[in-house]
Amino acid sequence: MKEELNKIKLACVQEIENAREVNGLEEVRVKYLGKKGELTLILRNMGNVSAEERPLIGKMVNETREEIEKELTTKKAKLEEEAILKSLENAKKIDFSIPAEDTLGSLHPITVVQREIEEIFKSMGFTVEEGFEVESEYNNFEAVNVPKYHPARDMQDTFWLENGELLKTHTSAAQNRIMRKYNGPLKAIFPGRCFRNEDLDASHENTFFQLEGMMIDKDISVSNLIYFMKIMLSEVFGKEVNVRLRPGYFPFVEPGFELDASCMYCGGKGCKVCKNSGWIELCPCGLIHPKVLEMGGINPDEYSGFAFGLGLARLAMMKYSITDIRLLNSGDLRFLKPIGLN
Amino acid sequence: MYISINWIKDFVNLDGIDIDNLINRFTLATAEVEGIEKKGFDTIGVVAGKVLSTEKHPQSDKLKITKIDIGGKVVQSLCGAPNVEPGIIVPVAPIGSMVQGMKVKETKIAGELSEAVCLSEKELGISDDHSGLMILPEDTVIGTDIKDIMDIEDVIFEVDNKSLTHRPDLWGHYGIAREIAAITHRELKPLDVEDLEVYNNLPKLNIDVQDREKCFRYSSIAIENITKKVSDINMRIRLYYCGSRAINLLADITNYIMMELGQPMHAFDKSLVDHVNITTLGKEQTFKTLDGEERTIYEDTLMICQDNNPVAIAGIMGGENTEIKDTTNSLFLESATFDGVSVRKSAIKLGLRTDASARYEKTLDPEMTIQAIGRYVKLLKNVDKDIKIVSSVTDVYVKKYPEITINITKEYINRLIGIELETKEIADVLSSLGFGVTVNGDEMQVLVPSYRATKDVSIKADLVEEVARIYGYDNIVPKTTMGPLQIVRQEKEQTVDYIIKDVLSQKYALSEVHSYVWYDKKLNKELKIETEDNIKTINSLNADNNVLRASMMPTLINMLHKNVKNFADVNIFEIGKVWEYHFDGKPSIENKNLGIVLASKNKSEEELLLKGKEIVTNILKLTKNILPKIIDDTERKYSWINPINCGIITYNNKELGNISVLNVKIKDAIDKKLNSVIIEIKLDELNKIDKQDKVYADISKYQTVTLDLSLVVDKDVKYSQIEEYIATCSIENMNSYSLVDIFEDKEKMGDKKSVTIKFTFGANDHTLTSEEITVAKDTLINHFESNGAIIRK
Repeated sequence: MKEELNKIKLACVQEIENAREVNGLEEVRVKYLGKKGELTLILRNMGNVSAEERPLIGKMVNETREEIEKELTTKKAKLEEEAILKSLENAKKIDFSIPAEDTLGSLHPITVVQREIEEIFKSMGFTVEEGFEVESEYNNFEAVNVPKYHPARDMQDTFWLENGELLKTHTSAAQNRIMRKYNGPLKAIFPGRCFRNEDLDASHENTFFQLEGMMIDKDISVSNLIYFMKIMLSEVFGKEVNVRLRPGYFPFVEPGFELDASCMYCGGKGCKVCKNSGWIELCPCGLIHPKVLEMGGINPDEYSGFAFGLGLARLAMMKYSITDIRLLNSGDLRFLKPIGLN
Repeated sequence: MYISINWIKDFVNLDGIDIDNLINRFTLATAEVEGIEKKGFDTIGVVAGKVLSTEKHPQSDKLKITKIDIGGKVVQSLCGAPNVEPGIIVPVAPIGSMVQGMKVKETKIAGELSEAVCLSEKELGISDDHSGLMILPEDTVIGTDIKDIMDIEDVIFEVDNKSLTHRPDLWGHYGIAREIAAITHRELKPLDVEDLEVYNNLPKLNIDVQDREKCFRYSSIAIENITKKVSDINMRIRLYYCGSRAINLLADITNYIMMELGQPMHAFDKSLVDHVNITTLGKEQTFKTLDGEERTIYEDTLMICQDNNPVAIAGIMGGENTEIKDTTNSLFLESATFDGVSVRKSAIKLGLRTDASARYEKTLDPEMTIQAIGRYVKLLKNVDKDIKIVSSVTDVYVKKYPEITINITKEYINRLIGIELETKEIADVLSSLGFGVTVNGDEMQVLVPSYRATKDVSIKADLVEEVARIYGYDNIVPKTTMGPLQIVRQEKEQTVDYIIKDVLSQKYALSEVHSYVWYDKKLNKELKIETEDNIKTINSLNADNNVLRASMMPTLINMLHKNVKNFADVNIFEIGKVWEYHFDGKPSIENKNLGIVLASKNKSEEELLLKGKEIVTNILKLTKNILPKIIDDTERKYSWINPINCGIITYNNKELGNISVLNVKIKDAIDKKLNSVIIEIKLDELNKIDKQDKVYADISKYQTVTLDLSLVVDKDVKYSQIEEYIATCSIENMNSYSLVDIFEDKEKMGDKKSVTIKFTFGANDHTLTSEEITVAKDTLINHFESNGAIIRK
């Protein structure tokens, strides 16, 4: 019996050796180990074997079976490895240098900048308020303390509509409505499209975007304004920015300031952009005029607040080194598409 | 406005103060300085020289060989000036000296030696006069350095006029000096003026202020026996350095005082004007101003008249017929205050803005008029001591501003600035600016000086500014606020906008554009875009752009047109405002719309339209978790839609917008090969819909079976009709279905098409038995077949 088993084993090993494909190997397995396989048959015929020999022979058969299985596994791994190598030899080499398909569109540069700034303000607990583009004369002028006969109300700067309304000349036109909405402490920004009736050139547009902000609470001071503007502008420009205030006159603030930021191009040392002054005039700001608070239904003896304005068009132009403001409203995809999504 | 440091030094001692540093502090405390110019510092070694002889240059017709005594030395100069002659004393730049940065060197012209240059006023940089050499007074000591004779050395800084619009007091050197005195903590010297009281006994002039609304104050004096014609050289240099120019003595002093005090004045030749009435003319008429222009004067322009004949436009410019001439020897001097608004309006209407009108616009302090006359007489006497005052000061004071007193505490000021100052420190700052301060315990009673009280300072917040800016904004320590912690709720509309912008730009590769809010009528006509009338602007510079848009589509189609020459595919969108107006004078209604254009030279209209539907569907899913229903547009309101393939986007029977192939007329006008689809969504309508909750449905644990059925139906049967039909069938155990494919083939199928739908069957509580499956399938097939559809096997 032992010899017979050995013979089967040798024959089987030889056939395993000869197999050239995984499928052939399977045939060998079936032939020897399958239900009707040679080795299986020996076990089936155990009835003819004496009770004493049975365990012994059983053990021998199992050992042979294990050996064959081991051979099969080894050979199978080898064949699979060979097959992979062979398929790799025939594989097509793909050209990585072929350009990727462009499946992204683009956001308008104003949207990109506006959103960045909104995120900064939201993180500081500001609400983002939406305003109108057509406004009443009251909201645009009266309510922000620009009295009748003020030069800013002259015909030529404002687009007037046939029904007495106007295209808002500044985001401040939303101040009154926002104050009335909260009726007390508030932190809000309000971006929006503004209009000035003037001829276009590389640095003048009749349609442009501003972003204005207000913070109203008890005891808001100039010192708070400076602190806040420094933090905010450092975040906007992604680096430490110093600020300084100069007197500036805007009817809706008192005191009013022009805020200069240390030049972000040269760090304040002086360069072409800042005309060697080290400072860049960035935004008008100030403490909200008591009359403006009052018209907004907020008691100026109880509350004070600051307001500031940022020119989104200007920031976008700085960010992307755009030299002609007219490009922003041109709709020219040769300009807009490369700006992409950020 | 240009400011001379020499002039400032008349009023404030600036010894030991660094001028550059001072100007920087002025910028931070008062007003923006746009530039600094140092005058005369690069002119060195120029001296007074006396011309001894002139002799014709042998080889030049123009040049004269000139011998000049420059004090202990005679030099030769080749001089071409027409007025060179022996005996005159002129500025001379010898070898080694420097004139406005240019070094004088020994030269030879046509064989003759030049050792010095004789100078004109222009060459010295003190005027535009280049007609000849500058002639110095006869008593000038030969060899004296020119800088000892006149103040050619000065620092001039330019203040941004825009930063002074609210400060009428800063439109002259004296006001600027007051600021500088406060900033440097030095004393402001009083202005040297003539005591006019001594003339009180002289007769009054006849001044009749008839328009008492527009003329606030008119003060005047008459002077005779004026013999001098030319102003002092230093006055002329200051006028020139500050952007004006010398004309004649009497006019120069009016200009000088305007630049010094900020008070415009006008000098009439008294032989022509010796009494005035101030009025509007009530009708249009022409008037020749002293610049020689014939101008139309309007019925409401305030005029200075003599017996109702105009002699000057009040606050703007005098008339040619009464101006000061070389022969003038008597003077009627005007020092007046006019209503700023009226002057500004007249100046705009006339198209004539002058230094005087620019100052009046700022609302000048009427208290200055008499002071200005006192100053005028003083300055004139300095030059021409024999003048004779022939009238008392005649003063018609119509509108006096009320005195303003403000009560304020240090707590208020400290709280709003965020600093800790003592009452005394605050009082000192305010006093240095001319405010009268009375301290009563904790409270200060502050009297606003007249020159700040015309509009500039009236409330407590104004005083906060005064204290803060002189204290120094850069001395304020930045501090954070201490507000309570609060939840901040953002407006939903904003979020919706950003979701839409993201999906369009990131998933569908659209580009966001910004367009103008008005129609471009010219381009619309060219592109055959017809728009309806809407609310109009009344003063647009371009009359073609006066109608505000009621839809996003025209402006977006314009953008498409602009890009089509550069791109085969143009996919753009914009979220913008549109307006509804009923031509009734009532406020317009502003709405926010999303406009989309999908255009391609490679894709078919059908592909684009279905892509458009996908975009609309995904926008509604992402923002509101709803599905749109697109129905045929039967109204076809807009000229830009295609009458066959146009749809209305609806949800729950509410119209949210429209989607359409571009109208063929417009298509042809842009590019016949370009297929376009246009979509407009009313975001305000969309935002009225509440976002629907998403509910998770359990996935059945039991197996499901699918069945693909190909229905052969008439070509014009819509998929929605099949869906509606399936909905009426109510097949037991049918879970869901979805469209697999629509197949059309004219040759094989003629007027029919095959619609393949995958049906899924299953139950939540057991695996369907084969019997159940068969029943469900058969019922479904029977339904279709009994309704005329053929099942393609």
